[in-house]
Amino acid sequence: MSKKFSIFLSALFCAFIGGMLLVSCILPDVDFSQLENRKLQELPKLTLRSVREGEFMEDAEAYAADHIAGRDLWVALQAWCERLTGKQENNGVYFGAQETLLNRLEEPDRDKLSKNMEYLDRLCSDVDADVYFGLIPSSAAIWSDRLPAGAPTANEKAVIDQLYRSTRAETVDLYGALDAHKGEDIYYRTDHHWTSLGAYYGYTALMDAMGLEAVPLDSLTPVTVTEDFNGTSFSTSGVRWLPPDSIQTYIPGDGLKVTRYPDGSPVDSPLYVDSYLKVKDKYSYFLGGVQPLCTIETGLEDAPKILLVRDSYSDSLAPFLTKNFSEIHLWDLRWNNTSLQTYIAEHDINDVVVLYSISNYVGDTKQVLLTR
Amino acid sequence: MVFSTPIFFFYFLVITLLAYYLVPRKLRNPVLLLSSLFFYWWGEGIYVLIMFLSTAIDYTHGLLVERCKARGNLRGAKLAVASSIIFNLALLGFFKYWNFLAGSFAALGLDFMPVIQYIRLPFLDPIPFHLPIGISFYTFQTMSYTIDVYRGDTRAQRNILNFGTFVTLFPQLIAGPIIKYKDLGDQIDQRACTSEKFASGVQIFMVGLGKKLLLANNVGMLWDAYKAMAPADLTVAGAWLGVLAFTFQIYFDFSGYSDMAIGLGRMLGFEFLPNFNYPYISRSITEFWRRWHISLSTWFREYLYIPLGGNRCSRPRWMFNLFVVWAATGIWHGASWNYLLWGLYFFALLMIEKFFLLDKLQRAPALVCRIYTLFLVMVSWTIFALEDFGHLGAYLKVMFGLGGVPLADPAFGYYLRSYAPILIIAAIASTPLGASLYRRLSRRGQEAACTVLVIAGLVVCTAYLVASTYNPFLYFRF
Repeated sequence: MSKKFSIFLSALFCAFIGGMLLVSCILPDVDFSQLENRKLQELPKLTLRSVREGEFMEDAEAYAADHIAGRDLWVALQAWCERLTGKQENNGVYFGAQETLLNRLEEPDRDKLSKNMEYLDRLCSDVDADVYFGLIPSSAAIWSDRLPAGAPTANEKAVIDQLYRSTRAETVDLYGALDAHKGEDIYYRTDHHWTSLGAYYGYTALMDAMGLEAVPLDSLTPVTVTEDFNGTSFSTSGVRWLPPDSIQTYIPGDGLKVTRYPDGSPVDSPLYVDSYLKVKDKYSYFLGGVQPLCTIETGLEDAPKILLVRDSYSDSLAPFLTKNFSEIHLWDLRWNNTSLQTYIAEHDINDVVVLYSISNYVGDTKQVLLTR
Repeated sequence: MVFSTPIFFFYFLVITLLAYYLVPRKLRNPVLLLSSLFFYWWGEGIYVLIMFLSTAIDYTHGLLVERCKARGNLRGAKLAVASSIIFNLALLGFFKYWNFLAGSFAALGLDFMPVIQYIRLPFLDPIPFHLPIGISFYTFQTMSYTIDVYRGDTRAQRNILNFGTFVTLFPQLIAGPIIKYKDLGDQIDQRACTSEKFASGVQIFMVGLGKKLLLANNVGMLWDAYKAMAPADLTVAGAWLGVLAFTFQIYFDFSGYSDMAIGLGRMLGFEFLPNFNYPYISRSITEFWRRWHISLSTWFREYLYIPLGGNRCSRPRWMFNLFVVWAATGIWHGASWNYLLWGLYFFALLMIEKFFLLDKLQRAPALVCRIYTLFLVMVSWTIFALEDFGHLGAYLKVMFGLGGVPLADPAFGYYLRSYAPILIIAAIASTPLGASLYRRLSRRGQEAACTVLVIAGLVVCTAYLVASTYNPFLYFRF
């Protein structure tokens, strides 16, 4: 190596690592990553205690990683490199056919699930209302033909069938309803949720199970509210080469009284929250995202009252339910520790639906709250 | 702190290099000592005391040995060496093997050794007991120091700051190579820092970083997938694919760390000896161990095998010596029975080769020899990778078609297709092909190729470095 070249190479290396440090320090700190949907690590405070417990070091490492210059670009570049070396997945998300990202589901822990079934059965016997149980399959199951050949993912049909056989609750055949329409846009391509169309088919399955009449699809008019939705699978995978999704609604949001309880106290709110269309997390347009409790009063007289033990899939289902129920209560076990059974009795709920996407259900640790 | 983290690469390294080259020459060792202590303290907290303890004890023992020898007191010198060896082995034994032995005895119903969960020192809160990172490496290094002084291979270090720099030197502190004091002592006292050395350090460091982040971590995900499968879900082809992935993972991980250490050393003006020499092209297990983790094999050779009598003794004694060396090599890799088994597996293979196979291998076609070696090495990695004997037995059964599972399944096809390009790159990178192509280029060609590779390496490695910390919190997962 010539002297000149070695100086050049040394300078190049030092300029890169030094430059990265300098730019990362100069750039103003961003507090929140839209892409990752989380608060970024703050500059940790140097205290004797935090150092002694190693907390300072951990936080400082997280800070260095979170605030590196061009973080989102590096993540996108990594996904590109994976794709170029023939990988068909990144971070547990498959690069599927038809520009679709599909989340892998790990084989669930059957023991934990049978525990959940016991909690559900206790809910059935403890409350006066009719209890229904529905598991929503993921796009990887319904759109398995879009998965890369041989890509491993749990057999969701088998898991659902087994759980349905072992419960006393009325079951809702969501798998069958969605599978019958697998050729339609029933899931987002870049997000793990079902679309409003998918939610509609879920709604018909629920109405079937309850013996109620679903409003026909052709009586509803779809409205596209955004064509620029990059969902959770987009975030997780780092995949930046796919076109965004669009979000549609089928039910107008007016004439309803929607009350959110984000911190326990009531707040009047619309069915659709427009401000979310301006940020990355556009799915929260439906009812405003995660909350312990949300109620919808429809003004329908003589119609029954329904309570959904929800995850986020219920948010895009709820609009359809306004056609059949006088009150809709959305209850989130993950954020609500108050007594569910007391609430059901106090509000004269007629039908309780424990409704989860399978990926949430197998990871949920709060099912025991069904018994309180 | 480990090398392949943003905090090391973009913070620690930048600040250390800056301080190192800005201070006057005679302050460079103190800067290195301080940054190395910081490096160790960052990840290990209070365990950094071991560094101070080790430095103080081995420093005084070195001086003691030399003084005794100067006065003709050989017995005193011997005692001092023995005391230093005992201290280092006790340190290693306590932190690495105590709980392993306690657990093993307890399994036999003998519970005279309590399992340690906390270390209680006066004036300090109880310290959670764990294996201090790198202890297997640095105890071996400091042990070699007093032995070398005793043997007259090196002079004792008089400056305790310089000696502390040797003990704590961050490039090789946590994952080797195991550097003997006699190879480094002169450089600790005096070394030239030139731009040529720095630039070659950059090259080697980048090779190491690439090996770790782009190859080892990548194929590591494939091994993780197969390691996590229940034996009944495996397939014969899949089990081999998984072991192949681990074979590449451990090589590129370990040799990547060594390369990074050697590269960092050069940036600071040190010359470390190479630690790996394309082990997977070996034509025999004997040759494999001349090419794999060279600093460990030579350490055991110089400080265990030869003192035991080496091969200049009766045949049974020679076999015993080898047995001891390989049992020690095995258990050095980890406090678990499978590592001992792994070491003895190599003892058996080396015996077979030495007694009759080596001559035959020399006459056999190279390809046959390489397949033979790689096959046995892959089996050894299975033993190495699976600590649980039940899992290990079931996995080996599947590999050899005795698991009652299918030959292949669609998931195997998926993994093979997904990882084929990276496995092919890894296979090529395991041979000297790239290096020999590079050597054939003209000087201009080499400079151009080097520039492109370093820039691409920096960019792509940064992408993988950042992506490894990418951690979306999606509201549907809690």
